[in-house]
Amino acid sequence: MKNRLKLLRVERGWTQEQLGQALGVSRQAVIALETERHDPSLDLAYRIAAVFDRPVEEIFENPHA
Amino acid sequence: MLSFGKSTTPAHRRYVIRIMAFTLPYVAICVAMMTTDAFDDLMGKPAAWLLAAAVSAPVIGQIWAVLSLMRESDEFVRGVMAKQFIVAAGLTLAIATFWGFGESFAGAPHMQTWLVLPLFWGMLGIVAPFIRSSR
Repeated sequence: MKNRLKLLRVERGWTQEQLGQALGVSRQAVIALETERHDPSLDLAYRIAAVFDRPVEEIFENPHA
Repeated sequence: MLSFGKSTTPAHRRYVIRIMAFTLPYVAICVAMMTTDAFDDLMGKPAAWLLAAAVSAPVIGQIWAVLSLMRESDEFVRGVMAKQFIVAAGLTLAIATFWGFGESFAGAPHMQTWLVLPLFWGMLGIVAPFIRSSR
C-alpha cells in the first residue's frame, strides 16, 4: 500500500529502529511498510496515525478511492 | 526464516535458543543411531518405540518454538513466517507424495519417512530468502 511513512519519519529525524519502538513493531516491519511489502492491519495503521498525529488517509493512499 | 542480523529481536534470540535446544537432542540421537551400535539391542523390541518417541518429541518442541516466535512477533514477521511455512510444507508434501507414488508405481528406491523433517527444514531454508513480503 502506497504511503508517506518514510517521508514523515525522515522529517522527524527518526531512524527505522526508533519508529519501530514507537509503534511496538520490529525494524523489519518498518522497512516492509516503507517499501510497500506489508499492508498494515487497521490497528497498526491507527497506531501509525497516532504516532505522527495525522489522519490515516494522510499517511496511506486509499487504493479503493 | 527471517534474517537474524543487526535487527535481531529478543523474540528471535529466544527462538534460536529454543530451536537449538530441541534440534540438538534430535540430531544427537539420529547421529548415535546411524554411527554407533548403541541402539541395536532395541531392534524389534517394544523399547524401540520409546526410542522413536524420544527422537520425535523434539519435533513437537520445534513447532512450539515456531508458534512462540509467531506469538511474540509483530504482524509483519508473523505474516511472512506463515507464508514461508506454508510454502515449505507444501513443497515437502508435494515431494513426499511424488516420491511415494514413485515408489509404488515407478520402482523408486524406498525413502525413510523420518527424512521428511530434514526435508521440510531444507525446503524452509530454500524458500525463506524469496518470501519477504506479507502479501
